[in-house]
Amino acid sequence: MRLIAPCSGTYYQIEALEAPRYARFFDHVIAPEALAGVLTPGDCLFVPCRTPAQRMIAQKDVISQHLAKGGTVAAMGESHSELWLPHVTFHERPTNWWWWLEPGADLGNRVIASDHPLMRDIGKPEITWHLHGHFDPPEGTDVLATDSEGRAILYLDEVSTPGRMVVTSLDPIYHHGSHFMPATTRFLDRFLPNLKVWLQE
Amino acid sequence: MRVIWLQSDLDGPPPTVAAHAATWIISQAELSVTHLEQAGGLVTGRPLDQNALLALRPAIEAFLDRGGRWFFNGHVVRPLIDGLAPFEPMAMPKRPDFDQTRLAPHPIFDGIEIGKLETNKGVAGFYGRGANPMPPGAIAVTGLRGGTVPVDWVWCRPRGGRVFSHAGNDLGQMGLEWGLAALLQTRILDWAAGGACLCD
Repeated sequence: MRLIAPCSGTYYQIEALEAPRYARFFDHVIAPEALAGVLTPGDCLFVPCRTPAQRMIAQKDVISQHLAKGGTVAAMGESHSELWLPHVTFHERPTNWWWWLEPGADLGNRVIASDHPLMRDIGKPEITWHLHGHFDPPEGTDVLATDSEGRAILYLDEVSTPGRMVVTSLDPIYHHGSHFMPATTRFLDRFLPNLKVWLQE
Repeated sequence: MRVIWLQSDLDGPPPTVAAHAATWIISQAELSVTHLEQAGGLVTGRPLDQNALLALRPAIEAFLDRGGRWFFNGHVVRPLIDGLAPFEPMAMPKRPDFDQTRLAPHPIFDGIEIGKLETNKGVAGFYGRGANPMPPGAIAVTGLRGGTVPVDWVWCRPRGGRVFSHAGNDLGQMGLEWGLAALLQTRILDWAAGGACLCD
């Protein structure tokens, strides 16, 4: 069960994927264009936040074949997964990054499947920084976290393909890799080990 | 003089950049030695693929040696040319650390009130959170943490050419709520096309 990350060479991806804090979680970090022939059905393709979408669109066939063989894909926020993953419907929204300046403010993100192994030790504080949008997950998927209106911002789809898709609009790799927003680091401190354990189960 | 505006992600340039007379939009996947030989300026942004650009290091060095100008937005994480070193974030920054100090009067910032670049909707930190270490001889333009962290600097290379480093989100996206982004975009391109600079 390998975690394979296509890296687009951006500074925030290089920092997040290669620096000592998280490097041990990634078995293989390669350019998106080098993915062909690398993935095996037990692998999880971890597409980091703000991957330039054209890099993954060019790999749609590789991704489809991986899912068809039972493989796993984790698509992180701002990577426009709706353009290169099947069955993803995303609704972008203007980002309010100043919401927390108002007294008593609550972004409204909620973990709604706290017993799911991917969400172990992840609560509201670890998924609260800002939002870029939400999804209409297909019927039968497991919604793990929602926004203030109950819309999916992190879900697991095990029904649309023979494989598994973990899809989120949260963008922690970008902010952690930019040394910006500590909540994103707290999220990754938990989510990456959870993901590795879940992949072994 | 043509300035390569390097497109590294799906989105094209903002309208002001697209309309600038010097702009030459090149997809990073297509960027070649020939492009660099035919350009006088280069602007790279946050989504720059530093792994891919590293493969063109000799061509970038030659571009600068010929007198080229490179406006670099972001954190250096690869040794893209001699003189550049990895980004150094401020340790445990607090709000006052993001206040900016004008350390040298670069034409890009002429007439722009520095406080209008410090925050975005009242939130600080977008402009920069550290610095790309300055090569010997570079001139600090903007400082964070009381002026001690050179988030902006310009380097007139002894071998020729100039590099402007802005170690944060793209400078051309700053000052949005004050309508300054388009002005900054124009000035970045003007500078990259051979406009006024500190070294003149």
